[in-house]
Amino acid sequence: MNFALLVTAAPGQENAWHALRFCEAALNCGHRVARVFFYADGIHHANALHSPPQDEPDLHRAWARLAETHGLELIVCVAAALRRGVLDADTARRQEKPTHNLGAGYTISGLGQLAEAMIEADRFVTFAG
Amino acid sequence: MSKRLLFIQHRPPYSDDRATELLDALLVAAAFGQTVTVLFQDDGVWQLLREQNGQALERKTLLAQLQALGLYDVERLYVDQQSLQERGLGSLTLGLPATPLAAGEIAPLLAEHDLVLRF
Repeated sequence: MNFALLVTAAPGQENAWHALRFCEAALNCGHRVARVFFYADGIHHANALHSPPQDEPDLHRAWARLAETHGLELIVCVAAALRRGVLDADTARRQEKPTHNLGAGYTISGLGQLAEAMIEADRFVTFAG
Repeated sequence: MSKRLLFIQHRPPYSDDRATELLDALLVAAAFGQTVTVLFQDDGVWQLLREQNGQALERKTLLAQLQALGLYDVERLYVDQQSLQERGLGSLTLGLPATPLAAGEIAPLLAEHDLVLRF
């Protein structure tokens, strides 16, 4: 089965944790996860400055690792990310901001990638905040 | 390939960005040629108030953006009648021509779509 996930929960919310575990479980069962789309407060996952205490889960790194191991696409909505202050180097330069903070493994793109995921996936699952 | 997508607006219009963000997502899906239906439910029915004005909060008026749905061929709009009644809005003229659905009509609406998006 080909899954696509939408994560609108922020990293500290219960559903954000469920999204990661669901994705791991799907992959372990031999399913394909074509794309994970981060939208609304879910875009905070992509912030490289995310620094939770050591005894708490670090979802920013966990997703990046999972993406590296399984070749997942971690897509972050550009409009939602700009509004909340997560920028890649290019965007930061264009917006004349002093720094950028998009984590490795994450890609900034548009809502077209969400529409495409909804169209192509056999199963589309939302983890809402 | 065209899928039938149901977007559920269940957030109030101005409490945060989620109502606008759901609208943006559904407009892009419609622009991608998908068949898009919208259901207003729970606090999402506040989005349909005719006299709303976002300027008091320095926000764009959401209803004005919702009125663009027709330009994207999004013509199937529904509103949960029970959500309206619970908020004392049952007899109000709404700002969009959304068809009221009784409690028993919601499940069949969900069932006829390939995908439901709500956040």
